Amino acid sequence: MSRGAAHSRVDSLFRRESGRILAHLVARFGPHRIDLAEDAVQDAMCAALQTWSFGSLPAEPGAWLMRAAKNRMIDLARRDARTARILPKVLPEDQAQEPPTDTGPLHDDQLKLMFSCCHPTLAPETQIALILKALCGFSHAEIAAAFFTSADAVEKRIVRAKGYLRKSRTVFDLDNARQVRSRLPRVQQAIYQLFSEGYHSTDATAPVRLQLCREALRLAELLVADPSARTPSTQALLALIHFSSARLDARIDAHSNFVLLADQRRSEWNAEHIALGFQFLRQSAQGDEVTRFHLEAAIAAEHCRAESIEATDWEAIVGLYELLAAQAVLPAIEINRAIAVGQARGPRAGLDALAKIEMPVGYPFLDAAKATFHAALGEHVMAAEALAAASASARTPAEAAVYRRQARGIK
Amino acid sequence: MAEFLYLYRGTEPATAKLSPQQMQEYMQAFQRWIGELAAAGRLGACAPLTPSGRTLSGRDGVASDGPYAEAKDLVGGYTVVTATDLDEATNVARGCPFLTIGGSVEIRPVIDVAKPM
Repeated sequence: MSRGAAHSRVDSLFRRESGRILAHLVARFGPHRIDLAEDAVQDAMCAALQTWSFGSLPAEPGAWLMRAAKNRMIDLARRDARTARILPKVLPEDQAQEPPTDTGPLHDDQLKLMFSCCHPTLAPETQIALILKALCGFSHAEIAAAFFTSADAVEKRIVRAKGYLRKSRTVFDLDNARQVRSRLPRVQQAIYQLFSEGYHSTDATAPVRLQLCREALRLAELLVADPSARTPSTQALLALIHFSSARLDARIDAHSNFVLLADQRRSEWNAEHIALGFQFLRQSAQGDEVTRFHLEAAIAAEHCRAESIEATDWEAIVGLYELLAAQAVLPAIEINRAIAVGQARGPRAGLDALAKIEMPVGYPFLDAAKATFHAALGEHVMAAEALAAASASARTPAEAAVYRRQARGIK
Repeated sequence: MAEFLYLYRGTEPATAKLSPQQMQEYMQAFQRWIGELAAAGRLGACAPLTPSGRTLSGRDGVASDGPYAEAKDLVGGYTVVTATDLDEATNVARGCPFLTIGGSVEIRPVIDVAKPM
């Protein structure tokens, strides 16, 4: 367990427990009772909050919350069942049983809910919103902040998604290995997107940035712990998240500004995350499937094992980006490939590669990359012009500020 | 120096809307605040209260359940602090995180029965 992860254990108690407990209640009482389960979790947490604020936490706050939420759920479900004239025969009797742990049934409950959230009829952004809400304890406003949208829009999305959940009486069946395998890519994609959203967030000061990355790591770890979901591609995804997590802190300076790869202090990269990244990358190398997670993890591994920018095996990275481009044509991949070409074969080659890329409007990274190579060639005017263009097409003020600062550095 | 009783009113409506993250931040802020009062030597008795209870009233001591206050008036906890006067006690209470989530803090001077008024 890394220092960062251990810290987040105390730090995000309520968020973590809300996801774990909700997943358990939904698995136990049925997805059609998800609203009731949310109420039960909220009530239990309010009671805990009031008590714990005045003193110390119980030895096992998670167990305390679970017991309180289960009791509340039984109360609410009985009341609900009476009004609906349905006999409450599904209600369990074991109010004081099993202490919750990180493994076993509770862990499975979270996975089941995660797979349920990734139903193919739901749009990817809806799946992610639902995961953040149900499994990560994010409020609508917090989800909205993460995705630059309004809380109202998020609420609509969640209501629609829960409408689907409410229609079914059982959660996803993890014992059906075939079903697990067929839905796995969606679950992986949701976790990947969750991490990317946090990692590539344009606002370095947003605390939600780190939370998204931590949650993605936690969910990927859950996935790898399951025998049916532990495929090479899942291991590659976890490796990628570890390699990227290693660099999270070094990417931001003391003034909450982004630090370019060339300027990052590699001694600040987290060695434990890097070690875990290599461990899972090695495990992912079984079988003959090479997914984009494998390729992206391999690229991140190249960066992590290099002593410096100069000592990086840029030709290897160019090769990996070419394999990646063969799988999917995405602007980010094209630009990163061209940047690697420039690092491997000189700034002029980099500019030539960048010149071949056709870019959608409102995408600042192409101009930013050009600026770097122009500056390396001593073409300061062209570098400044490119940065001005990047700044003009930046998606947020914070992003524009990064380019303006870079431009000031050139003069 | 005199004692003052802080009554925290409206706990339930204030906490019901908090997200887990906000709960986390609030709890830590409140614990920190109580810790600061203790470190400053101001802290006396201090505890949360359940919303339920029993009221005895009248000569016969008729018992009824619950304090029957409106949720926003219900006392969710109390703290006894030491301060020189009501103004200082008020200033100390201004730092209470309960205010940041929409609760109210009632400040009541405790009468020292040993002192002539």
